[in-house]
Amino acid sequence: MSIKENDKGWQSGMAKNITFIVTKDCQLACKYCYLVGKNTMERMPWEVARQAIDYILDHEAEMKEESVVWDFIGGEPFLEIDLIDRICDYLKTEMFRRGHHWFNSYRFSFSTNGINYHEEKVQRFIEKNRSHLSIGITIDGTERKHDLNRVYKGSGRGSYQDVVRNIPLWLSQFPDAGTKVTISSADIPYIKESVLHLYSLGIREVNINCVFEDVWQEGDDRLFEQQLMELADAIIDGGLYEDYACSFFSERLGKPLDCVAQNQNWCGAGRMLAVDAEGNFYPCTRFAQYSLREKPALIIGNVRDGIDHNRLRPFLTLDRCTQSPRKCIDCEVAEGCAWCQGENYDAAATPTIFQRSTAICLMHKARVRANNYYWNRLFRKLELEDAREAYEKRKKETKNVTC
Amino acid sequence: MLQYLVILLDDAAASFCHYSSAGRAPRPMPADVLRRGIRFAMTENLNVQFVYPAGEVPADVAALVESVDHVKIKPVGAPGPADVTVVDGFDGLPAEPAEGATYVLRTDRAALFARRGELAPVLARAARLNLVLTDVERFADADVAAYAETLDELAGLIAGQYAAGRAPQLNVLNDRLLLTQMNSCGAGETSLTLAPDGRFYVCPAFYLAPDATPVGSPDEGPAVPNAQLYRLDHAPLCRRCDAWQCRRCVWLNRQTTLEVNTPGREQCVAAHVEREASRRLALRLREAGIMLPGAQEIKKLDYLDPFDVRETW
Amino acid sequence: MVKKLIGQITAGERDEIQRLYERRNGLNELAQIVTADNDALYEKLVADMGDTTTRFQAWWDKMAQKYAWESCEGGHWEINFDTCEIYLVGGDAL
Repeated sequence: MSIKENDKGWQSGMAKNITFIVTKDCQLACKYCYLVGKNTMERMPWEVARQAIDYILDHEAEMKEESVVWDFIGGEPFLEIDLIDRICDYLKTEMFRRGHHWFNSYRFSFSTNGINYHEEKVQRFIEKNRSHLSIGITIDGTERKHDLNRVYKGSGRGSYQDVVRNIPLWLSQFPDAGTKVTISSADIPYIKESVLHLYSLGIREVNINCVFEDVWQEGDDRLFEQQLMELADAIIDGGLYEDYACSFFSERLGKPLDCVAQNQNWCGAGRMLAVDAEGNFYPCTRFAQYSLREKPALIIGNVRDGIDHNRLRPFLTLDRCTQSPRKCIDCEVAEGCAWCQGENYDAAATPTIFQRSTAICLMHKARVRANNYYWNRLFRKLELEDAREAYEKRKKETKNVTC
Repeated sequence: MLQYLVILLDDAAASFCHYSSAGRAPRPMPADVLRRGIRFAMTENLNVQFVYPAGEVPADVAALVESVDHVKIKPVGAPGPADVTVVDGFDGLPAEPAEGATYVLRTDRAALFARRGELAPVLARAARLNLVLTDVERFADADVAAYAETLDELAGLIAGQYAAGRAPQLNVLNDRLLLTQMNSCGAGETSLTLAPDGRFYVCPAFYLAPDATPVGSPDEGPAVPNAQLYRLDHAPLCRRCDAWQCRRCVWLNRQTTLEVNTPGREQCVAAHVEREASRRLALRLREAGIMLPGAQEIKKLDYLDPFDVRETW
Repeated sequence: MVKKLIGQITAGERDEIQRLYERRNGLNELAQIVTADNDALYEKLVADMGDTTTRFQAWWDKMAQKYAWESCEGGHWEINFDTCEIYLVGGDAL
């Protein structure tokens, strides 16, 4: 007898997320990118990375989560594959040498634009760390939808062809991988065709969400609802619900929420930790200066002096109702309405994380209506086919990733 | 709801709280600004507190002050009578404190721990003493024992006064005995400050800060952005806390945690040392047969920082 | 390949084998970068690999005995960490 393990769905929600902002450079200049301060200058020096790792591993008692996700973002992280490789080798060695509890439970995670995924150095890194990797390639859907936003800087040329060629290789290495799709105002007409296109590429899990920024135009919510309903029809009529998932449709969505029993914060900022090229620590990458339009960076320490725990107290005591305006507290469809703490901070009237941005309000309500339609239609169909019970047993859930 | 208006009669007006006004160049409040401030206070039914500098104020200002019911807060040695006398450091304590007066003593931890015995004459004569730790933002776990010991010694002095038939109040010991809810300074909610520049600020500290941000004026009215964050119900830690004597200083909150509604660990720990010392004072008074009307029992806690027990909420 | 559900373990038992599984993977990948010239670390790694492998096999032996799992020539057992389910996969006897 031999033995095999299946580890999909690894430790979701139980892990500490630690992000290295290895570069602020990217080949692309996506039109919806929240990183307003991208540049080619700020690359993380090895010494900063090493100091950050030493600080974090030295403070094991303060980071008691059972597992850790070492996250690498940019810009485009794979532009710094040599640095990342060195960081990962040091992490593995040091976690083991110190007998750190995270050696038993860690992942290296990447969100990449996929352009240089096939390159030798990247592939060598993947081979070397295969059992500890989580890699997401961002592809927005059909070529016209993808190229609407995800264009090369300078030339403005669409990047679809350079990404899609790497999808088969990626899926052969990570068959259960999902992709993350971001919807802005101009993308709404392409939602249905894009999700279906991603399914056709073999991507079974599409995590999709509307941007939190105030970009929405009048009527966008109706168009959005229409697109989602058409997508719902296509998924149900095509039987795609059996093997594919789209995070827009969730059974945990659209109910009122109680301010006592359901008062937890949505966002994990503060429970996460990010470090940039300067060696500054942030509660999440969204609080680094290159992510902020209006506000100064919210720095919670640095690799030399450590973390100022007072600056984490607001994040760790923040709850849903304290930051929400009355209309959100009283909202009849509040469940599943997301927010980004960084965007809240950036859009707030004062420098606070306690003022929830509601730019997404109408879009959430449209999503709830389409979601209701989806489940009512699907369950009716399943019941008519006497297939509801079987479906419940094997249904595919998404992780509802929103940032 | 706004109830108090603090009016700084000069840029160099005395600090009666955690912030420092040392080194500020004198700049008296212009009479027309003061007039508008007083009119605003009257129309809004506000209690007015005038804060004075060390020297004389201009005659027209002095005259305007008397046109409204008020409280005078003056640094020790300033000319004329005061309702509240502010003493900056132990060296400024009067040799013979005034009978029945109210004093504010601003001191750092080291001086308080070393010179606490010098407070005996004040507690023997004054009606009230407000202690303000000027470096409370650096209150360390290593200070807990020394502060507790200091407060116990001061509690002994107070108990002695009670036994002698006097009832002096020391804010950090007596207030918790009689309060039934949080008694914050109220900056930004029940209180605003009018500065010599003619604008409202959340409190004097927000005016003196390098990034001073006004929140309205007497002509435009108050305009505090995110005003809800100054209320207790929007302070996740404080609304569950019963260290009711805590000043809950929104300025210190902003300095330490970057949020006006969230205190740093140091403020919470110092307040809980005071709460526990108040509990011991209550027991001491009860054992001596001294009953305080309206005093509530204070439960013993096994933590000094409510943040440490947030998972149990 | 045929796959047959043959058992279910407890969450505690799952956590135990998942930790060992993760550790074994970690040690295998670490072994690619630790060389014998780093004496102390190399020795520690070799010892840990032996120990982890032993404990890993011991877990399967103990569970197979406890639950009397079905087995067959050429087949193997699989565990789904999400559901704590044990499967018999492949082999002649299915």
